[in-house]
Amino acid sequence: MAANNTPAGINKEQAFGMAETEMEYRVELFNRLTQTCFNKCVDKRYKESELNMGENTCIDRCVSKYWQVNGIIGQMLNAGGQPPM
Amino acid sequence: MDKNMLAGLEGLPEEDKIRMSAMIDHLQLRDSLRMYNSLVERCFNDCVDNFTRKTLQKQEETCVMRCAEKFLKHSMRVGLRFAELNSQAATQD
Repeated sequence: MAANNTPAGINKEQAFGMAETEMEYRVELFNRLTQTCFNKCVDKRYKESELNMGENTCIDRCVSKYWQVNGIIGQMLNAGGQPPM
Repeated sequence: MDKNMLAGLEGLPEEDKIRMSAMIDHLQLRDSLRMYNSLVERCFNDCVDNFTRKTLQKQEETCVMRCAEKFLKHSMRVGLRFAELNSQAATQD
C-alpha cells in the first residue's frame, strides 16, 4: 500500500503522516484477520482452553487465504486508480 | 508485530526515531485497549445467556476463561503467520 508516485519534494510531515496511516492500516488488517479467522475456525463451545490440531490447521490456512484475498483486492484497487483515502 | 516496524527505523535521525517510536507505542496501547474491549464482548456473547441471577455461574466463568485463553492463543498464532507473510511480501518488493 506504499504510495510510490509521490512528488520528489514530499516533506517530513507528510512522510510521518503516511507512515502513521500505513501502520494503522496494518493494525486494522491484523485485527480483522484475527477476528475473521477466529469466527471461522474456532468452536464456540469452548470445551477446553487449548487450540486443537484441526483449529490450528484451519487458522494457518485461513490466514494464508485471507492474505491472498487482501492481495487480489489491493491489485484491483491499484489498477483502477488511487484507493480513496 | 512491533519488531517488524522497528526494523525499518535504523537509518533515521534520532529525533525521527523517537517520534516513530512514540507513534508505535501509541498505536500499540490503543490496540491493546481495543482488544480488551472486543475480547470481553466476544466472551460475554459466547458464554453468557442466562439472566436468572446477577452473578456469573461456575460454568459461565469457566467458559469465559477458556474463551479468553483460546482467543489469546489464536491471536498469537495469527501474529506468527502474519509476520511470516509480511516478511515474504517485503522480500518480494
